[in-house]
Amino acid sequence: MSTAGISALRVVTVNGSYSTSSKTGALLELVTDTLADRLAIEVTRIELADLRDEFATALAPEDTGPRARAALDALAPADLVIAGTPVFKGSYSGLFKHFFDLLDVYDLATKPVLLVATGGSERHALVIEHALRPLFGFFQAQTAPVGIYVAAGDFDGTLVLNPEVHARIEIAVDDLVPVLELRRHHALGTT
Amino acid sequence: MPFELGIYHFGELTASPVTGRSASPAHRLRELIEQARLADEVGLSVFAVGEHHRHDFVVSAPAVVLAAMAEQTSRITLSSAVTVLSSDDPVRVAEQFGTLDLISGGRAEIIAGRGSYTESFPLFGYDLGAYHDLFAEKIELLVKIQREDPVTWTGRLRPPLKDAEIAPRPARPIPIWVGVGGTPASVIRAARLGLPMALGILGGAVDGFKPFVEAYRQAGEEYGTNPDELAVSVNSPGFVARTSQAARDISYPYFAAGMMDNFHQRGRGVTMPRRAYDAASSPGGALFVGSPQEIIDKILRQHEAFAHRRILVQLGYGNVPQRETLEAIELMGTEILPGLRRELGQHEGISA
Repeated sequence: MSTAGISALRVVTVNGSYSTSSKTGALLELVTDTLADRLAIEVTRIELADLRDEFATALAPEDTGPRARAALDALAPADLVIAGTPVFKGSYSGLFKHFFDLLDVYDLATKPVLLVATGGSERHALVIEHALRPLFGFFQAQTAPVGIYVAAGDFDGTLVLNPEVHARIEIAVDDLVPVLELRRHHALGTT
Repeated sequence: MPFELGIYHFGELTASPVTGRSASPAHRLRELIEQARLADEVGLSVFAVGEHHRHDFVVSAPAVVLAAMAEQTSRITLSSAVTVLSSDDPVRVAEQFGTLDLISGGRAEIIAGRGSYTESFPLFGYDLGAYHDLFAEKIELLVKIQREDPVTWTGRLRPPLKDAEIAPRPARPIPIWVGVGGTPASVIRAARLGLPMALGILGGAVDGFKPFVEAYRQAGEEYGTNPDELAVSVNSPGFVARTSQAARDISYPYFAAGMMDNFHQRGRGVTMPRRAYDAASSPGGALFVGSPQEIIDKILRQHEAFAHRRILVQLGYGNVPQRETLEAIELMGTEILPGLRRELGQHEGISA
């Protein structure tokens, strides 16, 4: 899905799931659909599981394959990064961390980043605050105040049933809209 | 006992998202009574009204409203969903519903719950901090009143009763259900008291409460409760129309308006996006919104998980207009209930 336009905002989602039909992927899509109700956006979806052959064994950025390289390069020019991961053994997935380990240290500086995670139960909800936020704090990114954590019980397959999750996504996205609009005005030189 | 299908309503006075106006309290009450009359006519099993003590709901005195309905109906069970027992006096509740039972020819029922609003506690001088203990003590007394006459009872939170006459006596012990919203302790208590359990399922997965139902039956077994007494009812919001799309299109704006009035974060109402409503209405979601066949399928799917005895639908939450609501009631009685009983292999006979 992409809503291309002359002033469409570049949104990049990163999905740290190892499954191709994942709850995390569905949640990222729900978030970008909600954002697309409010702003013209162009979405690039990075599915780390699909790129694993190109970066999982890379010890440095130059060891990555062309598609993984392109994925890493997509982050710096993005207006918004939506970083999503399932909770594996109490934290983000290994592929998720390894991907960001290969990113240049300043590529996300001051960039709006929305934190998204899924897990087996509500017990892991603080993964947003205790694992994801420090990682993007290292990158000096502007993490959105409201992160989105969704437990497996809120899904039917990959469909999010719980209206409270939808409501939380609305809040998270509404918080981001003025930030993104300001960025667009700056980019267009209209402020 | 054939599977039961009924309706519950809170009598909310939500302003119409279309016209911006709210119905007057008097008008809303007439609408509820008209709905009950039609529900009775088309053979639905139960009509229940909630109890709220604030200006955005019209029903604070369920027994009074149900008594008016009793005069216009002949077969339907008249119930409360729920009687906020924690902040009421079980003696008074027993008297009011006993009266209703006599007026209605044995059709009164009580669903007793703890309520999800807090206004009634200061209003009647109860300590909200004692919320849990109040309910635990009062439900036991309410049950005792049904089973004994005169009543002798001693508790901690209400003056004792010694050979008390509680009048009028109903034609038979009034059925009391325990309304449960998701607190495991409430489930266990219902099983211990041998009371049927009405599960308020307002969202999530259609079979998401399965662990509660299993805990209820298991606890009942451990307490040695007669399994026949351990009935389960599902109480969930929904709406029905000829087609799946029409059911969603008609009901969504009202439901969203109702949620906006009742669900707050950061001091303001939270929107329920259409996609959230559609997800909750999908086959795996807990809302009963759709065509008659969709509703039948969902009830059957839930029945496989819960083996429940009845479902009460909070029909058109947020006040779907009366005309569409009456059409929905008609569909419930003429298509959903016969379809359900057919699928469940039950005779279509009306429980009288």
